[in-house]
Amino acid sequence: MAAGPTGGSGGAQTAWVLNLLTDLAFNLLIFFVVCASNEPDTKGRPQQVPSADKEKANEQKPQNIEVTITRTTVAVNKEEVPLAGLTANLQGKLAGKNKPEDRIVVVKSATDTPYSQWILVTGRIEQAGGVITLELEEEKEVRVK
Amino acid sequence: MKFKRRKLEITPPYVSMADIAFNLVLFFLIMAKTQDNSDLEWEPAKDTGAKTIQNAKVSITVDKHGKTYLNNSREPVGQRDLADRVTQELGDKPPPDRIVLLKIHKDTLASTFQPIMEAVSQAGGEVVHVIEEERP
Repeated sequence: MAAGPTGGSGGAQTAWVLNLLTDLAFNLLIFFVVCASNEPDTKGRPQQVPSADKEKANEQKPQNIEVTITRTTVAVNKEEVPLAGLTANLQGKLAGKNKPEDRIVVVKSATDTPYSQWILVTGRIEQAGGVITLELEEEKEVRVK
Repeated sequence: MKFKRRKLEITPPYVSMADIAFNLVLFFLIMAKTQDNSDLEWEPAKDTGAKTIQNAKVSITVDKHGKTYLNNSREPVGQRDLADRVTQELGDKPPPDRIVLLKIHKDTLASTFQPIMEAVSQAGGEVVHVIEEERP
């Protein structure tokens, strides 16, 4: 801290003022460093995920495209498709469908599907213009006697 | 013989006071910044199409051990409580402020992350997956 003499020779006074200025400059430096150390902007992908209503999902089953994801494979309407060709495949199936409700793609994932695989597949579905709906497995209560 | 006493001029060190106050401000600023869960271990999934997201008030992190954390909490949240907790956090906020950042570790299984998305959807949140932009 810069606490100095209230009087004294000219040299001491100058040294004290310099000391003060150094303190001030250092504090300002810390202040700006702290302010600038904000987290970088988050980058993410917004996704419209309609509520996975089981009854609705069942209703939608016949006409909507169904994409099944497992740990290593992707299937469109139970037909296995390589990930690289998924966008083209879905674009073909969604062609001519203009209403959002017609572009619904029901995504079923095996419980052991890793998030990285899921993100890649859902990204391709969105690229193809599909509207993602998740189909979750129903919770079943099993009573053990 | 009388000696004159010298009067000591003592004034409070006002300059030092300002210094102390400023340092305290800095101290609390740094403390406020370090109280987050940035030390949680998670690695984002990679894909293209990432956009810059601003104004996200709520975040859910799933670390590499599969534990779920809400905002900057250090306590893991159970999946059954998540929808209620997210609803509380979002309150009556208008749509642009209903963004929920999902920071999910890339190896997390669907059995863990799908119920989280369902919970956010139930709470009326807008899902944003935090991913790392993949370079071609």
